[in-house]
Order: sequence, then C-alpha cells, then structure tokens
Amino acid sequence: MKKGRNSFYLIIIFVIAYLSICYADEIIKLAQMPAVFDSEFYPCMSCHAGMEVNTNRRYLQFHEEIDIDQHADGVFWCLDCHAPDNRNKLRLINGEHIGFTEVHRLCGQCHGSIYRDWRAGVHGKRTGYWKGTKKYVLCTNCHNPHNPRFRKIKPERSPMKPIQTLR
Amino acid sequence: MKRILMEITDFFSGMLKVMFKGSRWFYLWMCLLTLIVLAGLAAYTLQMKQGLEITNMREQVSWGFYISNFTFLVGVAAAAVLLIIPAYIYHFKAIKKIVVFGELLAITAVLMAMLFVLVDIGRPERLWHILPLLGSPNLPRSILAWDFIVLNGYLLLNIFAVLYIGCNQYYGKEPDRKIIVPLVMVSIPWAVAVHTVTAFVYNGMGARAFWNASILAPRFLASAFSSGPALMLLIFQVLRRVMRFEIQDGAIFKIAEIIAYAMGINLFLMLAEIYKEYYTAAQHLTPMKYLYFGLDGHKRLVPWIWTSLFLNTIGFFIFLIPRIRKNFITLNAGCIMIFIGVWIEKGMGLILPGFIPDALGEIYEYMPSVYEITISLGILAFGGILYTLFIRTAIAIDTGRLRHKEAPPIVPEEEDTPLAANIMTRDVISVTPDTPVEEIGSTLVKHRISGVPVVDEKNRVIGVVSESDIIFREVYEEPDLLERVANIILPEQYRVQKKKGSYAIDIMTSPPVTARENTPLRELVQVITEKKIKRIIIVNEKEEPVGIVSRIDLVKAIEKISY
Amino acid sequence: MKKRFNRRDFLKLTIAGLTATTLPGCSKNADWQDLFRRRFQELTPDEIKGFLERLEERYSKQYGVKIHIKATPPVEGVVFGYALDLSRCIGCRRCVYACVRENNPSRDIEIQWIRVLRLKKGEFDLEKAEHYYSPELVPEDEYFYMPVQCQQCENPPCVKVCPVKATWKEPDGIVVIDYNWCIGCRTCMAACPYRARKFNWNDPVIPKEELNPETHYLGNRPRMKGVVEKCTFCIQRTREGRYPACVEVCPVGARKFGNLLDPESEIRYVLENFRVYRLKEDLKTEPKFFYFFSIGWG
Repeated sequence: MKKGRNSFYLIIIFVIAYLSICYADEIIKLAQMPAVFDSEFYPCMSCHAGMEVNTNRRYLQFHEEIDIDQHADGVFWCLDCHAPDNRNKLRLINGEHIGFTEVHRLCGQCHGSIYRDWRAGVHGKRTGYWKGTKKYVLCTNCHNPHNPRFRKIKPERSPMKPIQTLR
Repeated sequence: MKRILMEITDFFSGMLKVMFKGSRWFYLWMCLLTLIVLAGLAAYTLQMKQGLEITNMREQVSWGFYISNFTFLVGVAAAAVLLIIPAYIYHFKAIKKIVVFGELLAITAVLMAMLFVLVDIGRPERLWHILPLLGSPNLPRSILAWDFIVLNGYLLLNIFAVLYIGCNQYYGKEPDRKIIVPLVMVSIPWAVAVHTVTAFVYNGMGARAFWNASILAPRFLASAFSSGPALMLLIFQVLRRVMRFEIQDGAIFKIAEIIAYAMGINLFLMLAEIYKEYYTAAQHLTPMKYLYFGLDGHKRLVPWIWTSLFLNTIGFFIFLIPRIRKNFITLNAGCIMIFIGVWIEKGMGLILPGFIPDALGEIYEYMPSVYEITISLGILAFGGILYTLFIRTAIAIDTGRLRHKEAPPIVPEEEDTPLAANIMTRDVISVTPDTPVEEIGSTLVKHRISGVPVVDEKNRVIGVVSESDIIFREVYEEPDLLERVANIILPEQYRVQKKKGSYAIDIMTSPPVTARENTPLRELVQVITEKKIKRIIIVNEKEEPVGIVSRIDLVKAIEKISY
Repeated sequence: MKKRFNRRDFLKLTIAGLTATTLPGCSKNADWQDLFRRRFQELTPDEIKGFLERLEERYSKQYGVKIHIKATPPVEGVVFGYALDLSRCIGCRRCVYACVRENNPSRDIEIQWIRVLRLKKGEFDLEKAEHYYSPELVPEDEYFYMPVQCQQCENPPCVKVCPVKATWKEPDGIVVIDYNWCIGCRTCMAACPYRARKFNWNDPVIPKEELNPETHYLGNRPRMKGVVEKCTFCIQRTREGRYPACVEVCPVGARKFGNLLDPESEIRYVLENFRVYRLKEDLKTEPKFFYFFSIGWG
C-alpha cells in the first residue's frame, strides 16, 4: 500500500520534471514579457497586508472600475483567482500560488483548449521569429481578465475607390 | 549587290509615286487620317510619360478598350483571309484580287492588333522578353506567348504571300501556283488558329467566369466570319467605285449570304450561352446579368450590348432574306450594322464582363478615358492609312502603272468570255400560272421549243414548264409518307390519289433556275451541268424574263470560241 | 566567369540600339546596362551581386535614403504556409497598413496587397462583399471580415499565363515577380482568382520618410511604373526567419504563419487541429493560405 503510494509520488515527480524540461524555454520566453498586472507595478499587498480577508461577494468602492460580472456571467469572485492571503499572487484551484507572469496557468484551468492552442502558438499573438525565438504574449496582455472580451476599435481608413484615382 | 539596291530604290520610288498621286478626295482622306494619328501619338506620348494612369483601367478592371479592340481586330484579320474559301469554292471572278486584298487587310488588322497590345502594356521597351531565343517566352504554358507567335507567323505569312504575288506581277511574271496555292492553303487554317488562340487566352482563365466557357472560340470564329466579310464588302464596293476593280454582284451577294449564316451561328451560340447561364442561374450568371441587365443599379454596359444585339439581329435578317440582301442600300446598312454590332459584342461586351464584378465581387464600371479613345482612334487611323497605301500599290502593280522597266508590257486582257446576253435566245414566250396544260403543249409544239417560263402578273419568272413536266403529269404523283399512312387508315372513297393538276402552276418546276445577263458563259455551263437542266431563264433586275439560254445555245457559243 | 560575345548578345545590342532610338520617353530611370541583362533566375551569384549594388545605388539616389537590397535565397526544407482565423478577425485593417509600411507600395494610385472584405453573417457570397466599409468601430455585430491577399498557390494560374516567365514559384512556395523583367501585360491580373496582383499605373509615390530601406530583390524593393506586384509573405522578413508584418501587427492574433514541412510549426498545428478551407478551392489553385474558425463566437 505504502509502496504503491511512493511510486505514485515518484511518477508525479517525474512528470513534473519532464514537463518543466519541455516547457523550460517557453517559460523563459514568458518571463521576457512584462505582464500587464505585474506585482511590482501593482504592489497589492502594500494595502491589503493589514486588511481582513472577506470572501463575501459585495460592492467594492476602491475597485469600482472592475466589473467582474463580465467574465463568465459573474460566477467568479475576486478571491477565486487572487490569493486571499497574498494579493501579490494568483491562486490556482489546487491552492498553489503563482505570480502574475504565470497567469496563463490560471486561465488555462478553465480555458483548456485555448490554453493548448496558445501554447502551440496558435491562440493569441506571436511576434519575432517563426524560426527561432518567438515572443509570446500573455493572456492578460491582450485580455482584461475581469472583462476579457475585446473592446471594439476604430478601423483604419478604407482603400480608395477606383473612381477616386482617375485622372 | 549594287544592282539589287538599285532595283529596290527603283521599286520604292515608283511605289511612292503611285502611293501619293491621287485626287483631292484622296488627299483629304489621308490628311484626316494623319491628323487622327498625330492626336493618337500625342496621347500616347503622354501615356509613356505618365504611365497607364491616364487610362480608366484600374486593378478591378485591368484590361479595357485596348484589349477589346485587339480582340476584335484579330477576328477581322482572320476573316479577311478566310474569305478566300468561298471565293475559291464559288469561282468568284476576281479571286486573285480578293486574295490580295484579303491578305492586305489581314496584314493591316494584325499590325493594328499588335499596336493595341503595345499601347496596353506597361513596359513596351521590354517587349523583346517575349521573343524566342532573345527573351524568355513562357512556352508552352502561356497562351499569350503562343498568341504572340501565331500572330507574328500569320503576319509574316501574309506579307510573304502578298510580296510574292506583287513582285511577280511587278516583273511581269505569272506567280507560280506551286508556291501560291500552298501558301494560301496554310494561311487559311492559320487564320482559324490565330483567332482560336486569341480566344484561348481568355477562355483558359478559371478566375473569369464569363470567359471560361468552351463556346468562346467557336463564337469568336462565327462573329469574325460575319464582321470581317462585312468590312470586306464595304471595301470592295468603295474600290469598285473609286478604282478599277471589278467584282461581280454575284460574289458580293454570295459573301452576304455567308455573313447571314455566320451571324446565324453566332446568334445561336450566344443564345445557347445565355440559356445555359440563365437556366442554371448559378454564380456564372452574374457577369452576364451585369452585361444585359445591370447589377445593383450598375448598368453602363447595358445600352451597348442591347445595341449590339439589335444590330446583329437586324443585320442577320437583312442578309438572310435574298431580296433585301441584293439591294445595295440595305446590304451596306447591314454590313455597317454587323460590323458595329460585333465590335461591341466582341470588344467591350466580352472583355469588360470578365472583370465586372471582379474576382472579389467588386463592381467598378469602367468606360475608356478620352486618352484611351484618342490612342485607339490613332491606331485605327494608322491602319486606314496603311491599307489605303497598300491597296493603291496593289492596284498600281495590277494595272501595270507600277512595273519594272524591263518587264514585258501588259497584254491587254482578252475579251471576256461571252456573257449570257450575247448567246441567249431573246424573244421569250412565256405563259401565266393559269394557262391550261393543253395550251402549253400546243405552244411548245408550235414554236418548236422545249420549255416556257411561267410569269406572274408582274411579269416575274416564278417557274418553268418543260416537255418532261407535261409528260410526267400523266403519271400519278408519288404519295408522300403522311398520305400513305392516311391511305391505310381511311375508307376507299377518301383515299388520296393525286394526279397533277391541269394548269401551268400545278406542273411547273419552281423556283426556276435563272441567271442575269452579265453571267459569263463558263458559269452558265457549270450551272446547267451541275443541276442537270436543259435551260436557264435569263432575267433582268426586276426578275422579268429577257431571254433563254438552252443547251443548244451553249453548244453554238462554245463552238464559236474555239475558232 | 567570362562570357563570350555571341550572336545573342549581338541581337540584344541591336535591339538595344533600336529601342534606344525609338523609345526615348520611357528611359528616364532605366539603367541601360541592366535593361538588357538576362532573367534574374539565370544570373550567377556574382552577377546578382553586381546587379544589386547598381540597383541599390540607383534607388538610394532616387529616394535620398540608403537602401539595402538582399536576394536571400529560399531555405531548404521550408515551404511557407499561412492561416487566418476568421472567427477572430475584426476587420480593423491594421494588417493592410502594416503591409504598406513594410513593403513600399505606391501611395498615390494606392496599392494595397491586403484587401479586407466585409461579409454578412449567414452568407458567404463574395459578390455581396463590401470593400469600403468604414464604421466608427469594428467589429460590427451583423458582419464578419475576410482579409484576402496573395494565396501563394501551389498551382498559380498567374505563373502559367505570364508570357515572359517574369513570375515564378520559388522552392519555398512563394510566388515572386522580377519587377525588372515584367512587361506589364497584366495577363496575370486577369488570371488571378483572388485579385492579389496589383499594377503600377504610374510612377509609384512613396514619401521618403515612410520608405522601408531593408528590402529584398523579389519583394519590397521600390517598384517602377508599368509593372505588376503582389504579396510575397514579406519575403525579406520570412526568409530570415521572422514573421510577416501582417502577422505581427494583428491585434487579435488572427494571423498564423510557419513552415508547412515542420510538424511542430504553428501552421501545421492549425491544419491538424482545426477545420480549414481555402478560397475558391474549386479552381484547384491549391493556395497555401488557409482560412479557419477557431471558435464559434467573435
């Protein structure tokens, strides 16, 4: 019984080791991109450090501009993603704390297929070299995590009609 | 070497002399054309400087008026030579001249067509890239490269044929039939090839639904065979009037008849295409809809194509009905109609719907700019100048005005073989349709003749009653299929049992075989042997009988010639 | 490699002389030495080098900016493919102008290698496509958008019809044009089912400060009037391993690019994991430009 558990742990360790080797260069690449919500840029804990953790859904005057209801029809509450005990970190479902630069792991928990596409370089934007160092862009570089759908933008001007170019 | 140079300078100075010696009308005509050419040149200079921006072509419609005219002119060039076929089959008297004039027109039309390509391309100074050996023609894959080769081959072939005939005449020699006949025989299929390849340039493009129909090449030939001869007919008549060039009315009417058939086929093929597109009503229909009815309020081509359709249809009927076809006013009107009709149909009516709507569904309603029209007119006027000078030289050589000084003098052409008027029996005895058969019989016996023409109330010949008609009257007529079926079903008293009637109209042979007074003996002989008849009624232009040529008259005439 | 003066050269010289005397108008910018050279594909590397240097000098003089012209050859084992996610495209035309900035097309009689079509949801009829939409904001609720550019066909009809072999498909699948060999007959434009080919109706106008000086001979070097041009998948970038300009600018990441022969590439991932289609597939041009839909909304 105990022996089986040990080998299970062993397998887990191997899998994690394998994955980290596989994605090592990717993670390095990710690190090069500053996330929009970098904890250094937003030192959340400087305010939240002394505050009591309140998991109740309620109106937040200080974060008034955040309309969380736009993400998944409002089933989430802040502390589903932000670590309640350390606001400079995000929290995965398994309780693991991660930095803002690893936000894709958080999003990927629900958006599995998109996460897969993103890792393959197909969801979202890649710049740089198709053969060589690709620059990945994190989820939150393009999407507002509280309101992830893109806002409409102004299109560039339309081409000239042929009639406008006649001499 | 020096001698050859001398010969050439002699020829050209002589040619220049005959080319530019003419009446006031000639100079007026040439000045007018020169002015148009100069205007075209000015516009082209601007185009060279500014680029094709001065045209109204844009990326949506990337070929326009120039290529439209190119396509049309290739058709004219092809048909001008194809006219040799009927001239040969029907033994037109002026066949030698028809060959030369046809080939000269072909040369002119090909040159104009090439000029239209030259003004259309963006980098004319690089045109040499298409030349074999020198450049890099994309053979065998590019049809345009092929077209360039066939067109130039056609040009050279015709230039060679004309030069060969011309030089021989210039030196007073008879052209060698062993060279001329194969040349002509090659140039005829080549003419078909030229136009087919041009059609294939458009035809092979999957991107352009309007062109991507296999009927395109046959339609090209049919429309060419109506517009080309229409132009030739007009030219023949002008030549007949202003120069010494004789072509029988018969030949002209025959060509007109061919135009009717060609136009009939063209219209039929067009209807077949329209049917296919409209009944299927799939995506291929859109350009056709644009052409004939307009798309979403864009209808600038609509009046053009309906004009073309109207002109072509009217022209078709003019040439189809013999009486209208044989009237020179309606004939010429028909020629002009068909020429313009085909010019629209095969020019703008073909090229533009290839691009409207374009490959991405955009509609840009192209119409040529002033510059494009000026340049095009310049090219056409240049063709006019060329053809005028060609014809003048050809005629001067033919009449001996332009001739090598050591060439034997022209033997005045022998008196023409006797015409119908010279050999026919004049006082014609005729009968009316209601003359009883018995009376006809006694007339034949009394005048010792073997047949009489039957005339209507206006004295027009409508038939002939001959001895054999009277004899066969005594035999029951063979019942036709329907009557035989009826005879099986019906009771005896209702069965059809026909005996030929008792009046001239019942037994006469109709329509009668007739000829005009100026028909040559050779032709009369041919008709009588081919149709196995005994006599030809000679009629005047009102179809009234003026004489009869019977077999014995022919025998007498032939006997006279051989002495 | 020294070449003997042969009959072909003699003919060329003769033609050169004739042309020089008959066509003085069109020779303003033409370098006579290069006007009568051979086709680009037939040049030796040395000849190409000399030729490019002369071109660089001429262009630099003409535009007042130092211009570099490369002729980077295709990379072995690479065939480029492109995929565009129609469910993501919002029709903002950022790609159109990124392409313009990168590829030096004329700004006067405007040439744009990418054309974005607006189509009504529920239909896919090119004939009803709107090219000139310009709402305040995109995407509009009732429409979707389809950018079209050169599809880099495997069976390019434009190459087939070119009478002078001025355009050809490179080993890496890019259909290129030698602007110095094109005669401007525009047959390729008639043959292209995607309207990808554009013609320089006049001398192209590019403001000096907008000129991109890093160019490729077969790609974005400045063109002259009277020749045809088209998208080359940014040959000057992609042959060096970079992404095309339109891929990099797309704000929604709808544009995907890569090596079709590499099973690990993004383009292969798209082909294997999404259902793709190619424009006007019935024409059997076999584009290497794929459209796909990664999601149902957008």
